[in-house]
Amino acid sequence: MAKHSAKKIFRLGILDENPVLIQIIGICSALAVTNLMMNSLIMGLALTFVTGISSLTISIIRLYTPKHVRMMIQVLIIAAYVIIVDIFLKAYMPEMSKALGPYVGLIITNCIIMGRAEAYAQINPPIPSLLDGIAAGLGYTIVLLAIAFFRELMGFGTIFGFQILGDWWTPWTIMVMPPAAFFFLAIFIWIFNSKREGEVTK
Amino acid sequence: MKKKSFLYPIIFMSAITAIFTFVLAYLNYSTAERIDFLQDIELKKKILYVFDIPIPSDVPEEIDQVFNQFIEEDDSVEPPIFYTVENGEKTGYAIPASGPGLWGGIDAYVGISADFSTILGLEFISHEETPGLGGRISDMEFLEQFRDLDISNSSDRSYIVFRPASGGNVDAISGATLTSQSVRDLLNVDLEDFLKERRGD
Repeated sequence: MAKHSAKKIFRLGILDENPVLIQIIGICSALAVTNLMMNSLIMGLALTFVTGISSLTISIIRLYTPKHVRMMIQVLIIAAYVIIVDIFLKAYMPEMSKALGPYVGLIITNCIIMGRAEAYAQINPPIPSLLDGIAAGLGYTIVLLAIAFFRELMGFGTIFGFQILGDWWTPWTIMVMPPAAFFFLAIFIWIFNSKREGEVTK
Repeated sequence: MKKKSFLYPIIFMSAITAIFTFVLAYLNYSTAERIDFLQDIELKKKILYVFDIPIPSDVPEEIDQVFNQFIEEDDSVEPPIFYTVENGEKTGYAIPASGPGLWGGIDAYVGISADFSTILGLEFISHEETPGLGGRISDMEFLEQFRDLDISNSSDRSYIVFRPASGGNVDAISGATLTSQSVRDLLNVDLEDFLKERRGD
């Protein structure tokens, strides 16, 4: 793979190769946590951190890693960083840890991390790999926040827990429930891809 | 390179595993005490909430101090029962209540006045209900309904009744019917057991 500039890497991660909207990976957690913006933000930041730092580590040791055990190594490294995040949150940010609950552990199973490790970090130098991981994480975070924005606003009438819509608004209970995430994710993918197709054909 | 050799991958894997295990073990060891303390404070904060004793600040040490000032613990049973004492007399109990929820066990503490006529408050210690749905049982909106709830006329496992049923005193959570019912049932059963034991009938 050719060397990419930082700008190009972020453009790919957030727009052209957005993990959720284009690659359709990591959507299970995108569906699960997006009924509150706070959950989505914390989940996104934790994932960005783990993706970045594990891509960095995997890239540093990539030349010494035997190819046929690389996946075991990747899973080990990802799991270790997720546990570090978990311990850190528990010890120094207990409120945050409580809000995230079981989601922290679920970061291990997020396919974005392993996807980036396999597709990029395994064959690229450390610094671009770090940026690539962060870019993919940010792409994920932005989509999560966008979905959560509509779900929280319509489901609770709030944004980040602050009341936005007045008493006249009847909360749509379905927005809080899992099906709404499917609706919104599908609508987002549809709009995003049809716009993008227009640009590509031009 | 020796990457193709038989031993190299084994040694490499072992070395990586050892390094990360060591780092994790060290982090776990060095933070264990603080995490235990914080979890302890978390429980104390919840017990204070059950008794409606205002929490001065979010500083763990201050919460610890207020807790020790007002609340005593009877750890002859597991999980322990907490009670408040004023002038040498018990003024209220916080009793553990637990039961199955929708996805896993629900553990709660429910406060009850010394004359067993009023529920003082309710707080959940742990549950695994769906965040945003059943998980809203930990929201103030739901919990505040259990503040100073008169149960002197209730009996026979019907201390908590959801409206609009006749005699209803609490609203269930819409979109979380099963969780709401689990909470009601575990409270009714454990309250009944405690009251039977204490009243001696």
